[in-house]
Amino acid sequence: MNIHEYQAKKLLKKYKIKIPNGAIAYTPSEALSRAQKISKTGPFVLKAQIQSGARKAGHFTSDNTKNLSGICIVQKLNDIPLFAEKMIGNTLVTPQTGKEGKLVSKIYIEEFCVAKRTFYLSFVINRIKACITLLVSRATDNIVELAKNDPKSILRIHFHLNHRVQKKDTLQILKFLNLSEKYHNNLTTLIQNLYRAFLNLDATMLEINPVGITKNDEFIALDAKISFDNNALFRHPDVVLMHDDYEVDENVLRANRCGFKYHTFNTGSIGLIVNGDGPALAARDYLEKLGYQTACYLDIKGGVDEDKIAQSLKILMTNPMVEGILINILGGFLRCNLVADGIIAASKEIGFNMPLVARFEGTNKQMAQEILQENNFDFLTSDSLQDAADKLIKAMKENN
Amino acid sequence: MSILADKNTRVLIQGITGLQSSFHTRRVISMGTNVVAGVSPNARDKSYLGVPVFSSVHEAAQKTHPNASLLFVPAGSVKSAVFEALNEGIKLIVSIAYGVPILDILEIHQKIKKCGAVFIGPNTPGIITPNEACLGVFPEGICQQGSIGIISRSSTLAYEAILETNRAGLGQSTVIGIGDDMIAGTSFNPLLDLFFSDEQTKAVVLIGTTGATYEQEAAEFYQKAKNKKPLIVYITGFEEENDMGYASDILTHGKVTAQDKKQLFKNAGATVIDNIDDLHLALKNLI
Repeated sequence: MNIHEYQAKKLLKKYKIKIPNGAIAYTPSEALSRAQKISKTGPFVLKAQIQSGARKAGHFTSDNTKNLSGICIVQKLNDIPLFAEKMIGNTLVTPQTGKEGKLVSKIYIEEFCVAKRTFYLSFVINRIKACITLLVSRATDNIVELAKNDPKSILRIHFHLNHRVQKKDTLQILKFLNLSEKYHNNLTTLIQNLYRAFLNLDATMLEINPVGITKNDEFIALDAKISFDNNALFRHPDVVLMHDDYEVDENVLRANRCGFKYHTFNTGSIGLIVNGDGPALAARDYLEKLGYQTACYLDIKGGVDEDKIAQSLKILMTNPMVEGILINILGGFLRCNLVADGIIAASKEIGFNMPLVARFEGTNKQMAQEILQENNFDFLTSDSLQDAADKLIKAMKENN
Repeated sequence: MSILADKNTRVLIQGITGLQSSFHTRRVISMGTNVVAGVSPNARDKSYLGVPVFSSVHEAAQKTHPNASLLFVPAGSVKSAVFEALNEGIKLIVSIAYGVPILDILEIHQKIKKCGAVFIGPNTPGIITPNEACLGVFPEGICQQGSIGIISRSSTLAYEAILETNRAGLGQSTVIGIGDDMIAGTSFNPLLDLFFSDEQTKAVVLIGTTGATYEQEAAEFYQKAKNKKPLIVYITGFEEENDMGYASDILTHGKVTAQDKKQLFKNAGATVIDNIDDLHLALKNLI
């Protein structure tokens, strides 16, 4: 789960990490009144609150805002409403949002902070080494490119769970950044606090890009991104409350509430009902070979609740892109008959009658096939993925 | 022969009497597994499905000497269950749970390493050696004893690979799901090593996905391995999902696609297939 910058900063403040003065605003007039409280003179930074990186490299889509990026520096207080007006309610496209972009519904206003130096710093779960890794880079832009072409430009320090941030860690970072030892205490405190936040919050990624050094030699988090471990959210009810439902597609959200995963693509005509990414990918790969694109897939994982299965199936069945459904279920923990029951219940409720071919394998396969065949629908069953896909394509052609 | 588990493996089931686990325990036993004991914290019955039940792993270990443990406990309890098993010297632990917190996994990882044990999972169907032992939730009746070793990150594609090896008339020596969580308990390499020295195994099927670098390491291992067997590889994954921020792409030195991983295996001399349904043909060609 991801949160917004302003939420991340609020959390970091609790861990004694210095952040610029700032406030959130939903309207231009609110932006003005918030800004007044932050500074009498300016300058200010206005930051679009969408969950994406590279907002500075982004641009808005409407004609009068094309030259604006997701982060604007505003010199005078009186100009705040003008900029806020252009940002709020417009769509921002960044290298990480895809070309459809994201709607900006709120902006974060901060005092402009003069930093004599900036650098990149993050903690992340290291899937490769099974540890937590601290990443530091002198550069704050195009870091992934740098990591690819010049691995030495990124400092990596690997932490084990019981690691205590030590003097030698900080000295290594200072040396890497070419900073004098006078920063030693402040940097140690920063790293300690960030690491404590990372562990306490069950984060999977905590990124400060950039960290700024103020004229008083203090470290300040000029931006903040936190991703949380979805599997550990049960330990953090306060974090769950920060979830911004508007960041997520409504149907995806509905599926998530049932504990399932729903994913849509912008092309294609076939809906997949699967358990796990594996069967979805295997089906997608084969359909592509036949020249057909997947429009969406619903992953019901190891679902055992019949009602939840039926509820989620309706999401996919009512997707207007879908012209045919391929079911690829290989039941182990999941019992195939529960899926078949769900399909019948959902079809009856919404009057679904498109081509549908089910390939069941594994636990209670026989029962599932019988359930589908003994109904008034023209649903087909098959014993292999290839055959099921072939049957579906044939039925879709006949239906046209 | 087989790897990790066979008919002599003495299996303990932790969390034997739960609603879902009783369904699967019954199947584990019917697949021939030598289940020696079960643990249930509020064990009212002294035995369940013919298996003696104890209230602690310690007591079960003292009385029945298991050497492997299958965890049917919920995600939040996996860490403590693994530690209990390790404390009794159990060296093979399988967890099928979905949704174990990542920091718990890191802690488990450290302790497993220290104890020299093997942890399979979480988020996996487990291990099966057909007709001998099933430590997991594999569907009943799909496995056939045979000569192909299977290691898969995806649970369901492991089932698919089982069906394909049957279709080729070859069957399986042992099948292992290593799980598709952020961090897998065991990576491909130690298992490839075991399969390459197993007499019964004639070839190995490896099913990978995008994310992490288990595939890159396995390709490198295969290229360098002296004692090796034919390897067939299928890798697939969604690529368009973007993480917020840069950190995870920095770790892998840029984005790595399924195609990139496939190329590494091709370079290492493995057979790479583009559709899982092509597996039976590839197997027939090789053997």
